[in-house]
Amino acid sequence: MKGRTKRQAGPKPARGRSAPGKTGDLAASRAKRSSRRPRAEAKGGADNLGKYVYCVVSATEPLRFGAIGIGAKPAEVQTVNYKGIAAIVSDTPLEVYDPTRENVLAHERVNETVMRTHTVIPMSFGAVFKTREDIIELLRGAYNAFHDVLSKMEDKLEFGLKVLWDRDVMIREIEREDEDIRRLKNEIASQKGSTYFARVQYGRMADAALQNLADRYVADIFAQLRDVCVASRANKPIGDKMIMNAAFLVARNQEAAFDARVKKIGAQYHKLTFKYTGPWPPYNFVNIRLKLERAKDAQ
Amino acid sequence: MPVERTSSNTSLIDVLDRVLDKGIVIDAWVRVSLVGIDLITVEARIVVASIETYLKYSEAVAQSTPALRSNAVETRSQEALAAENRSLRSKLAAAADGTGVPVVRRRRRSVGV
Repeated sequence: MKGRTKRQAGPKPARGRSAPGKTGDLAASRAKRSSRRPRAEAKGGADNLGKYVYCVVSATEPLRFGAIGIGAKPAEVQTVNYKGIAAIVSDTPLEVYDPTRENVLAHERVNETVMRTHTVIPMSFGAVFKTREDIIELLRGAYNAFHDVLSKMEDKLEFGLKVLWDRDVMIREIEREDEDIRRLKNEIASQKGSTYFARVQYGRMADAALQNLADRYVADIFAQLRDVCVASRANKPIGDKMIMNAAFLVARNQEAAFDARVKKIGAQYHKLTFKYTGPWPPYNFVNIRLKLERAKDAQ
Repeated sequence: MPVERTSSNTSLIDVLDRVLDKGIVIDAWVRVSLVGIDLITVEARIVVASIETYLKYSEAVAQSTPALRSNAVETRSQEALAAENRSLRSKLAAAADGTGVPVVRRRRRSVGV
């Protein structure tokens, strides 16, 4: 993760100032000063504050969520409204945020707080805009997409479900149930000469049987959750203990039913470990990729 | 072992898994240029140049072979992600030393912002 976002070195902006005639001396000197140490500047002057954007919601009125924003001094979280939709933002120094534990959790904390009362489209981590007008332009430019997605996500929550198992325990289970594998294992144990080929074959059969079992379990878990969710998404399992890494989109009024179903499945499969998380903003069910540019001609 | 639901901010891995590249995603180099490169000189407004929306919303729940399906889909997207990651990294690196970033062609003070 480190190095994914790099902080910008200060001196770069100065290069752009090759035509000083047009802008006043004041602006020029300001430019010079802040290009030398933009950090210090950002802390000092209020005019160098940008806005960190957490998510987009439906809202006709300005909203406030308290001082829970990202950064060393949590800033007031509020809205930038545009025609019935709003970006949830807080003031921040103009800087690129690294995805540190604190920063990432702050981002999530705000989303979670807003989510309690509103349907949110979460923004991915680290979006800082220079001005309020930029954010309004974002809302205006992608208005239809936001509006459409907001109405589709209305009153829906995401839950995460990861299922893990212990391979060794499962292999023993398989040996109990699968006669061929059990016989092969006994052969290997009793054989006198080289057991190489028998062991290779055993390994292959055990792997296939494990994969088979995992597929069966996962299919059954999905099937059992089917009628209590709106949609599901199977992500790639991480590591070799995980057999299922899924996200579910659940209607708010089905939350309790979904919850009960997950617990029932947990009781059914007592040899598996379930990691059940949420509610989340619908990260896994919304994907809006935006490419932004500077307006070619600001004048 | 009974299954307990944990709230979403307890596992950093689960949070990272979501917030870094899901939801509304803005091009990484732009993210940098929005706040970094032209910190003071550019007051031109941003515009939304392109929108690519796709909802996973209607994806069928657990079709007959969810595990197979997920493998087929996710392996490819994993590679695509890796490729994207590489290209973004190089763009970021380029941005850091000031070359190759399509910054702003015209720098003017804006009016009425």
